[in-house]
Amino acid sequence: MVEVTMADPVNTAASGKTVLTVENLQAWYGESHILHGIDFNVKAGEVVTLLGRNGAGKTTTLKSVMGIIGKRTGSINFEGQEISKAQSDKIAKLGIAFCPEERGIFASLDVRENLMLPPTIRPGGLSLDAIFELFPNLKERLNSQGTKLSGGEQQMLAIGRILRTGARFLMLDEPTEGLAPVIIQQIGHTIARLKSEGFTILLVEQNFRFAATVADRYYIVEHGKIIDGFANAELPQNMEKLHTYLGV
Amino acid sequence: MKNKITALMLGTALSLATAGVAFAQDKSIKIGALSDQSGLYADLGGPGSTLAAQMAAEDSGLLAKGWKIDIISGDHQNKPDIGSNIARQWFDVDKVDVIVDVPNSGVALAVNNIVKEKNGVYINSGAATSDLTNAQCSPNTVHWTYDTYMLAHSTGQAMVKAGGDSWFFMTADYAFGAALERDTTEVIKANGGKVVGGVKTPLNSADFSSFLLQAQSSKAKVIGLANAGGDTTNSIKQAAEFGITKGGQKLAALLLFITDVKAIGLETAQGLSFTETFYWDLNDETRAFSKKFAARMKNGAPPSMVQAGVYAGLIHYFKSLEALGSNPHDGIKVVTKMKELPTDDPLFGKGKIEANGRKIHPGYLFEVKKPSESKAPWDFYKLAGTVPANEAFTPIEKSTCALLKK
Amino acid sequence: MSINLQALFAQLLVGLINGSFYALLSLGLAVIFGMLNIINFAHGALYMMGAFAAYFLLNVLNIGYWPALIVAPLAVGIFGMILERTMLKWISGLDHLYGLLLTFGMALIIQGVFQNYFGSSGLPYAIPDLLKGGMNLGFMFLPIYRGWVVIFSLIVCILTWYLIERTRLGANLRAATENPTLVRAFGINVPRMITLTYGLGVGLAALAGVLSAPINQVRPLMGADLIIVVFAVVVIGGMGSIMGSIITGFALGIVEGLTKYFYPEASNTVVFVLMVLVLLIKPSGLTGRAA
Repeated sequence: MVEVTMADPVNTAASGKTVLTVENLQAWYGESHILHGIDFNVKAGEVVTLLGRNGAGKTTTLKSVMGIIGKRTGSINFEGQEISKAQSDKIAKLGIAFCPEERGIFASLDVRENLMLPPTIRPGGLSLDAIFELFPNLKERLNSQGTKLSGGEQQMLAIGRILRTGARFLMLDEPTEGLAPVIIQQIGHTIARLKSEGFTILLVEQNFRFAATVADRYYIVEHGKIIDGFANAELPQNMEKLHTYLGV
Repeated sequence: MKNKITALMLGTALSLATAGVAFAQDKSIKIGALSDQSGLYADLGGPGSTLAAQMAAEDSGLLAKGWKIDIISGDHQNKPDIGSNIARQWFDVDKVDVIVDVPNSGVALAVNNIVKEKNGVYINSGAATSDLTNAQCSPNTVHWTYDTYMLAHSTGQAMVKAGGDSWFFMTADYAFGAALERDTTEVIKANGGKVVGGVKTPLNSADFSSFLLQAQSSKAKVIGLANAGGDTTNSIKQAAEFGITKGGQKLAALLLFITDVKAIGLETAQGLSFTETFYWDLNDETRAFSKKFAARMKNGAPPSMVQAGVYAGLIHYFKSLEALGSNPHDGIKVVTKMKELPTDDPLFGKGKIEANGRKIHPGYLFEVKKPSESKAPWDFYKLAGTVPANEAFTPIEKSTCALLKK
Repeated sequence: MSINLQALFAQLLVGLINGSFYALLSLGLAVIFGMLNIINFAHGALYMMGAFAAYFLLNVLNIGYWPALIVAPLAVGIFGMILERTMLKWISGLDHLYGLLLTFGMALIIQGVFQNYFGSSGLPYAIPDLLKGGMNLGFMFLPIYRGWVVIFSLIVCILTWYLIERTRLGANLRAATENPTLVRAFGINVPRMITLTYGLGVGLAALAGVLSAPINQVRPLMGADLIIVVFAVVVIGGMGSIMGSIITGFALGIVEGLTKYFYPEASNTVVFVLMVLVLLIKPSGLTGRAA
């Protein structure tokens, strides 16, 4: 296994090695064929954003990587290991952490329990104090029931808890959905901060204005395929195309 | 199931053996052993009763004389409707001649009607209710082993005479319990005692402690257990546990089987006195039979009195058929013959069947041995007294059976 | 009917004793239902196996009551885990009906096998020497063993509650109950946890079996007779609620005790009458979450 070390944040986007390579990924929900051949890669230290309309297959792509889609074919390579056939608990132990769109806060657990739930995969995760520094609100609400938190706090909790585990590859599914601008800003800062600390992040976003503040590269997903991709620097010349893709 | 298969194999072998014989006379017999095959009475009847029927067929000597005997078994699950349905199907479809065993008085009475309606033969060994030879008597029925009158007059009477003149009943809430309580109450009153209270307990209860506490607070000298099987064993164990017997109240186990004593354990059961009409260790003949029987039982148990009754009843039934020369498939005719012939079998000795269908033999008052007195597995009883045959059961002139009035 | 206060107290206490068994069994059912979403009809058979395990330990290996309290639940728990791995696992995610039928079938087979070898009247198991005898409470003579059963069951129930509601392991369990997929995606081996949880529920049933061995006879059908009442208890308390099943278990024991005092004929039915009432008024049970 290749150990991801703290990389120099300035160079990562350009020179990091590829940690995740997805080739011809197809996936099904029951009978319905959702992904029809997804190809993309993520390099160490990058923030890569999947953009696309509702139902394009962005979330399914993340779930496929995480191993929680019933049927999937093609190749998913993470740090040199083929994981397209692996069970999700094994995938998690390789160092991938997932923050789902619905946030997955557990109603029967209090905030502390929610925070402590994901087991430590390897050393090097954030300490509780570091997490509280990122999200001070959580510290005050440690004994509240998980689902009694506000939407923003729940999102902080959902991100916070996967930072503890030592996983260096984070998948965040629409972290800003339905949140107030001030909270979105806070989450943006957090992502930037994580990136600066060498985390690799695969982001799914509808809000590309937000994505633009954090992403290094973009892939456009449509009808279960990657139809385009460009770097953040190429964003201005792709703006028009992007509007067409996203139907904004 | 295994018994059924064995029975079928026995039947098949026999039919092969008799294949060449011309059927001038019908010498085929079909026996239905109807019992509780898996519930609280399964150990005192159940598969052991089917085995007893098989052994009776083997020991009858009829097989060698060209008779063909088939045995099938059924599980009435202690439900009168299920018992009735099986009996009906046995007569209508399977052409069964005789139904034996049938513990559980509720089921036994239901089956009694079917047998009468179908003109079959009914040799009941398992049920206790004395109604079978009184109000509900039938020309098709022989009640073999014991009944509530007998239990009440031996155990009940013995206890009242020993000073237990006030009683509290714990009664199983169905036909049998009611009959036993009624018959025992008569005995108590006739002997100058009184009944101070009672409680009806649901059949097959696990916990009797509540009822026992009520019995205790009644201050009755005797707690009469008008129940059977698991209900009795639980009552006795729990009475010991709650210190009721130590407190001076006596338990009257009106109906106790050897399988119950085994379940209670001698430690707790010691000293209990009760009545049975058969015990494996009574004499050489009972011992010889029981040894053969136990060897064929999965758990090595000797026959209970119910199973012994199935065996003895069938032995007498076979004798009567032999006397008739062939099987007339006519229940009344066969039962009339059975009443005509004196009974004599290795398990119950010499006796007779009264006109009301009551089989007459002695009753034995037993006392459960102390653990130190028990020399072998199943060595449980010592004989405390014998009630002679002519006193053990309802005197014929007191029977309310309609058959006696013609 | 005049109410004899002493007798009433006695009945309440006796009810509490039965309630202990209801609580232990319904707790195991709740734990299993919560995690596996299976209505475990084999629970009664496994309770019976616990009692038989105690009997074998004593009569074959000469291991007494106290070690049996640990060894028997462990052994039966392992048996349960084998059942889960070999059979129940395959029906996870299917309709409740499949689990119900499968476990019901397992119960019939287990009971049938025991009945085939041991008949139905049962085998005696002596009360351990230390707990023999009784004490006079004034209003009743309390067998020490029964007192022990109440206290010990209460402790076990509270420990189980603590384990599930207050520990890290319990948090994993509760989380996996809500969203097994996500919990697994965090790197927790959920299938193993499911197996262990079934083992825990089964172990609780077996423990109740060991506790009951000296009170009732060790009988193949001892569980079949009890489990129907326990299911009613679970329905009344609400499927899957830990504290709910404990409290309802003890409470219904007491209700039954009262019925035995006031109208004994109904004592076998009162729990079911209550069940019908609860189902009519609050179908998810007294403490249950709406399905």
